[in-house]
Amino acid sequence: MRRVAITSAATSRFTKASEKPIFELACDPCIEIVRDFGKDIDAVMLSTCATEQYSSTIVSEMLGLKPKVSQRVDNLCNSGTNAIASAYATISAGLCDSALVVGAEKAASEGNRLTWDVTRGAFNFPVHWAAMFAKAHMRRYGTTEEQMAQVSVNNHKKAAKNPDALFQKPISVRDVMESKKIADPIKLLDCSAPCDGASAVLLLGEEKAKKTENPVWINGIGQQTNGASFADTADLTKLDTARRAADEAYKMAGIKPADVDVAELHDAFTILEILAYEDLGFAEKGKGGMFVSHRDIAINTRGGILGCGHPVGATGVSQTAEIALQLAGRAGRRQVKNCTTGLVHNLAAAGSSATVMVLGV
Amino acid sequence: MASEFLTSLKKGVFVVPVCTSCRKKAWPPSARCPSCLSRTRAAKVATAGILVEFAASHVKNREGTFGIVEMDGFRLVGSIEGTNLKEGMDVKMSKCGVGSDGAPYYHFQPAE
Repeated sequence: MRRVAITSAATSRFTKASEKPIFELACDPCIEIVRDFGKDIDAVMLSTCATEQYSSTIVSEMLGLKPKVSQRVDNLCNSGTNAIASAYATISAGLCDSALVVGAEKAASEGNRLTWDVTRGAFNFPVHWAAMFAKAHMRRYGTTEEQMAQVSVNNHKKAAKNPDALFQKPISVRDVMESKKIADPIKLLDCSAPCDGASAVLLLGEEKAKKTENPVWINGIGQQTNGASFADTADLTKLDTARRAADEAYKMAGIKPADVDVAELHDAFTILEILAYEDLGFAEKGKGGMFVSHRDIAINTRGGILGCGHPVGATGVSQTAEIALQLAGRAGRRQVKNCTTGLVHNLAAAGSSATVMVLGV
Repeated sequence: MASEFLTSLKKGVFVVPVCTSCRKKAWPPSARCPSCLSRTRAAKVATAGILVEFAASHVKNREGTFGIVEMDGFRLVGSIEGTNLKEGMDVKMSKCGVGSDGAPYYHFQPAE
């Protein structure tokens, strides 16, 4: 199979709701990439939950591109890595040699609303299912609110070193514990925040990628969708989608969890990062809470979703951009030393769908 | 989503689409059976269940105790009324409908 690499990655600063239109937002991180690479780009994939028509083609036009393939990809919070997987497949199959994947979202995105799921009744905010996951994990495995708070502390600390992150200040466990109660045991600082944001990566086929400096290869992709509704989640202490996606990604890449040096985990709520440790095989089942303070791999180096903000369609792209920068040795002040294998874990809607990607140099 | 489900829910009557061929419940509500893809027809079902997990919501206009209830072949998230609640306890639906904001609601209370 033809190999595919990420050769450029850029993320714009994530901000509170701004006046900037979605298309302008989407173009921002692409400018630098297109200037460097040129306009001979075969595919443009726009990851967004914004409902504007013909949006990927409008972005292509604004960037002066005339791609063979132009499409919008929407799979809620999991849109970004879905777009990258589609770009990978298009290049790997030989239909294209290059693809620009851009994720962009406005803070007031339709993607923040879960209107279709009647199984959630009136409790239809994402925080309500997060509370159910947290309660179940606490009850069965003794995970504590302080351990969850520490996830937020860790990621805000990293965000403070990332000039593109929405949140720029470190916080303490006490800050999290004393923040406003949202849905017990979830407090305000256990939650990520919607924001404006955009991120982009350039994917090239093997022949072109080998001519660039520091290509980061996509070595494994696993994806799993179990349904659109919360009703299908049988066991609240694990995400079957993420487990299956991880198994496939590890198998395709020929690696084990212990081989991962740096990982971006989908921490839209603190409990999700704890579930991810277990679902990805970094920690034993039930030990995720203890793993928060005893980790031997670099996690959410850009500040995660908790520290960077959660522009839904841009999130998966920005996670992948971070791993690409880390593995290429271009992560600046937050560079992890000697990392060669990275992982991206991206979820949507209570983990009802998941993507796991393994990247390597 | 099966329109019969919401039409009925608006009247305060809880129904679940049941497959006209294999008789399985279609959940989330759907016009087609996700198992054999035959058409479904709304049917009244027993609304007793087990409280799987519960917590307190402080979200504006969503205040109060909520939880997941496992019923015969399907799950719902709803308001949980009463005191001395415990995971695993028997509950039954006491009220259901569609709120002024368009969101369905389900209320449960301890079975006894």
